[in-house]
Amino acid sequence: MDKIRRAPRSRLLIFPLFIAMLSLAAFPQAAGEPGVQRMKKVVIDAGHGGIETGAKGKLGNLEKDVTLSIALKLKALIEKNMAFQVVLTRDRDMDVSVETRSAIANNQKADVFISIHTNGSRLKAAEGSETFFLSTGETTDEETRRLAYLENNSSRLEDHMDKTSEQDVKMILWDMAQTAYIRQSSRLAEMIQAELNSLLGTRNRGIKQAPFKILTGVACPAVLIEAAFISNPGEERKLASERFQMSVAEAIYRGLAKYLQVYQ
Amino acid sequence: MENHKTNWKPVLILGPLLVVLVALVIIFFTGGEREEVRRLEEFSVAKGQPAPGESAGSRTVTLFFLSDDDDLLHRESREIVAGPSAADEAERALAELVKGSEKNLVSPLPAETRIRQVFITKEGVAYVDFGREITEKFSYGSSSELAAIFAVVDTLTFNFKSVKKVAILVEGAEKETLGGHVDLTQPFLPDYSLVAK
Repeated sequence: MDKIRRAPRSRLLIFPLFIAMLSLAAFPQAAGEPGVQRMKKVVIDAGHGGIETGAKGKLGNLEKDVTLSIALKLKALIEKNMAFQVVLTRDRDMDVSVETRSAIANNQKADVFISIHTNGSRLKAAEGSETFFLSTGETTDEETRRLAYLENNSSRLEDHMDKTSEQDVKMILWDMAQTAYIRQSSRLAEMIQAELNSLLGTRNRGIKQAPFKILTGVACPAVLIEAAFISNPGEERKLASERFQMSVAEAIYRGLAKYLQVYQ
Repeated sequence: MENHKTNWKPVLILGPLLVVLVALVIIFFTGGEREEVRRLEEFSVAKGQPAPGESAGSRTVTLFFLSDDDDLLHRESREIVAGPSAADEAERALAELVKGSEKNLVSPLPAETRIRQVFITKEGVAYVDFGREITEKFSYGSSSELAAIFAVVDTLTFNFKSVKKVAILVEGAEKETLGGHVDLTQPFLPDYSLVAK
């Protein structure tokens, strides 16, 4: 009797074990948090910081201060209204290298990356808001570019090897990461730009592509927002005001929400 | 006797192998030297010869300056001293770009900008080496940074057939960005989207 009972029991134990192993193999990301779906993450990047002030206004306002203020407001909005985790690349006035910013996004496995800037021109009259996504130059020859990049950076790679080697290698490999997300990034840019236009009342400069360093290494949909010109005294006054900063945060939040409805 | 015979075998095999090895070593060293000499000659040709169709005297170049009306880049012609090499002319054209417009347009580069050297490779990449002033004398926003870079890039690609791409260096070294925005680690293709039609 005993023998007969034991056999099916052990089979019963093996079956769920087998299922568990299968699911682990199929969904390696979920392995760390069994049963719980990973909370989606938005990484918000307040442009510049520390000794790198960004553009300067004629009245003395600095791009780095305005971007931080908008980033903090946007974080609060998202956390209040969405089931999203928000990570900032900086939460105070400090130096953060461009590479570290995209590394933060990638280490955190960001689902969306938003870099906030205010624009600057040599022309006092330049005005308006625009949203950028990455331009990749010659996307047709991606592999060649990647190889050329690795070749050019091999000496730098070796320099770093003995120290925190793993992280540096990852950073370098990420350099081309954004190219896989260009289409989604352009949709996100469109949706945010539409909200900037309706909420800010600034001139619509449209969505554009540029080879911005901050975007190249980010391995998720990523945009860079230029909210108004801090170099234009009229717009600088607006940018310095809490109300306008709140409108910028609100516009980005609404654009992001619309994007997530489509792409989640 | 039999033992003696077998002792010769490795010599018969290794002997010719050694000769081949010595020959390879000689070819390796002499061949290498020759190649290096040839490469140096090509370099000096690339820099010393005036570009075809450009005679001595002066030549007209097109520069790109910003306009307050539409914050786009606008063309402006300028006479520069011609030759001897395309790199020399490129240096003069960029110096004019820094000096500024004769028509109330605005230079996209800081007035203090220093051009240390322009070098054009056989593959058509112009390396422009600026002094540190280009980054230190202005706090760039995205627009001003894009304008500064593409005024330089477009000026060189537009006027010099031998230039296909432009790489920007600061104080002889690669720099990530001028002011935190545009990636300088890859050479630029021309982008005339910032130029007024």
